[in-house]
Amino acid sequence: MEKKCFSKVNVLLAAVLVLAGLLAGCSKSGAGSGKADGEWAGQKINVQLIGDFAMETKTDPVTGESVKGVEVLKEEFEKQHPGATVEFTLMPWEGYTEKTQAMITSGDADVYQMPGTVDFAPQGVLEPLQPYIDKDEEFDLDIFIENQVEGWKALGPDDDELQIYGLPFLGDARFIAYDKQLFDEWGVEYLSDHPTMEEVAEKAKQMTGKNPVTGEQNYGIWFRGDWSSAFTLIDLAEGQNGSWGSGFAWDEIEFNFDSPEMVNGLNWLLDMQELAPEGLVSNQGNEKWLTEENNIAIMLNQGPGDTVKPAYAQGLEDRIGIAQEFKNDEGVGGLFAGSPITIAKDSENKDLAWEWVKFATSEFTQQYIFEEMGLVPSIKSAMEWDSVKDTELMQPVFEAMRTPWTPRYPWGSAQPRFILTSEVEAALTGERSAEEALTKAQKESTEWLDNR
Amino acid sequence: MKDKAEIENQFPAGTAQNGRLPARSTKKTSSPLTWYIFLIPSFLGILLFMIYPIFESLRLSFYQSNGTIEHFIGLENFKTVLTSGPFWNAVGNTFFIGIFQIVITIPLGFIFASLINSTPRGKNFFKVIYFLPNVTSIVAAAMIFAFVLHPEMGIVNYLLDIVGFPTPGWLSDPSTSKWAVILLAVWHWIGFVIIICLANLQAISPEMYEAARIDGASGLQQWLFITVPNMGGTFAFLLITGWIGALQRFNEVYVLGGPNGSPARSIQTMGAFIYERGFTGFEFGIASAATYIMFMIILVFTFINLKLSNMKI
Repeated sequence: MEKKCFSKVNVLLAAVLVLAGLLAGCSKSGAGSGKADGEWAGQKINVQLIGDFAMETKTDPVTGESVKGVEVLKEEFEKQHPGATVEFTLMPWEGYTEKTQAMITSGDADVYQMPGTVDFAPQGVLEPLQPYIDKDEEFDLDIFIENQVEGWKALGPDDDELQIYGLPFLGDARFIAYDKQLFDEWGVEYLSDHPTMEEVAEKAKQMTGKNPVTGEQNYGIWFRGDWSSAFTLIDLAEGQNGSWGSGFAWDEIEFNFDSPEMVNGLNWLLDMQELAPEGLVSNQGNEKWLTEENNIAIMLNQGPGDTVKPAYAQGLEDRIGIAQEFKNDEGVGGLFAGSPITIAKDSENKDLAWEWVKFATSEFTQQYIFEEMGLVPSIKSAMEWDSVKDTELMQPVFEAMRTPWTPRYPWGSAQPRFILTSEVEAALTGERSAEEALTKAQKESTEWLDNR
Repeated sequence: MKDKAEIENQFPAGTAQNGRLPARSTKKTSSPLTWYIFLIPSFLGILLFMIYPIFESLRLSFYQSNGTIEHFIGLENFKTVLTSGPFWNAVGNTFFIGIFQIVITIPLGFIFASLINSTPRGKNFFKVIYFLPNVTSIVAAAMIFAFVLHPEMGIVNYLLDIVGFPTPGWLSDPSTSKWAVILLAVWHWIGFVIIICLANLQAISPEMYEAARIDGASGLQQWLFITVPNMGGTFAFLLITGWIGALQRFNEVYVLGGPNGSPARSIQTMGAFIYERGFTGFEFGIASAATYIMFMIILVFTFINLKLSNMKI
């Protein structure tokens, strides 16, 4: 009898353990009913953020300084919205597309930082923001730096025209960076603010060889020949009044990869490769950039994340100059980049989510992301902050943010980008001529478009 | 001390075997239920994370899907993949890297294992040294190899330059990038091959060598006619596991060349092709179809390997 009882206890215990395990596994962490009082009582949102965000104060690995966590944002948002609760899902950049897809498919968050808005909006998983903008008298799109809202417009599944699915949260831009010290040592005039391809080529050529002061081998130029090479080439075409093509919806897109401007641009890159260290096709040769021993004069297609914060952290801010990427006759050119903030279609608390979107683009949050994280703000008023004025390298970054190609290249994360990248690589590695490579890229991209 | 009658009362005749006490009779009635309940989480895990994805992937392979919007298109995805130049390029890269990894590593590992086995001292030291690469994360190793094979600053080109050989671009040249991956793959796998070969070498009966020595066989003859024939099962095992691993290759080529296997798709493997189409291009139907085609390729190739190696599993 005693043994039987023991067995029953065993079975019961096992059942309880399994049930508890299942419940623990299936329940959302931190699920709660929110705070009892206030205008937003009981409402809760989960916000997904991508990058080096941390919940609590941490040490920045680049600057070595203490960086406040997003708990600062939580505290302020909940103070401004009594009764509301905000939680965060923080993820690194690595694999963010796949993770975002998984999260949004399973309805994990209400608000997403989403660089791939153009890919997610057509899936019908994002809330159009225009109705919220229209009914919110407090909110004005003019707060943003020019072109930022335009750049993030996308097509939803039922849209005929581009709509706002995300508002600019993190700013970003592409520009040409250069080492003033090498220019001085070679006696070459600094790059102009808006250099032409000819100017860059001429100066890069002058600074390739043995440095007249140090005797070290210097290289005139470097650009990444693999991952982002397609965008470098597109900008070169834009600089000659060309373009990647036209259209936004897949059934309207026409590629222009084999245009004379693109062929000319790729031939220019092939010429520039002769002035660069070996290995740019495998993202190598630039190891000394942003160090005291730098041996490269001009770096194409750079971003503020790679340049501004590390330059200040290394004490090299006076040595680095920033010039604009190649622009067309209308002053437009270069990759539009950054991260917008979006609301999930299946969010249960969309009004509160909208409040977060506004909060994310408010001065409080924008100042937090710049002063704590070193990320680029997206609002005009940032240019008046002392912290921004003290960071001289930020001024050309803001200018670059005003003039990129918008809206974002719709094929930027689709197969045509990989086809074009591979063909640029094929040309850079001598597999094919520039013309052959781009003819192949055009053919394959068009076939892909026809078959999708 | 209990007498025989008392023991027989407690355990009726026929229940004790070889003088041992029988197992508790209650286990028979209650244990299975208890343990099945404990197994439920594992079964659920297998169901959710193995069985379901396999069937979901099969279903997706018949749809044009970006993850949320889907259209049934029958066998179109399979047709697209099978007529895709980049896919067959990826298949070619996968086999090229796999063949040379196996052809180099198994014989080299066996020779190293034989040398270690015949070393009178320091066997454990050599085992540890050679096995170290295998316990290193392949992702970390790939990152280090990018520096080792740096065209200007890498140690490999530095050594080649010293002895007067040409210094290739390695990862920045399609003609050498596959060899860079092979070098990394051989370095990473050879420790495992050595350990497995050593285990077999130590299991070969010493009497056979003793008899051969009495018959006047030289060391090389003993190695050729005793050691090598006795290694058949091990070679077959290494061949099959090596091929399965080689055909699934992803991590190191992703680190070294990104999802499209830079430069110019020269190191894009089947796994990387699937990743590129699925997770960077949102073409889940294409990626799923490519996964099933890759599965069929591995299945057929493993079957051929099993037949050729006479391995029984």
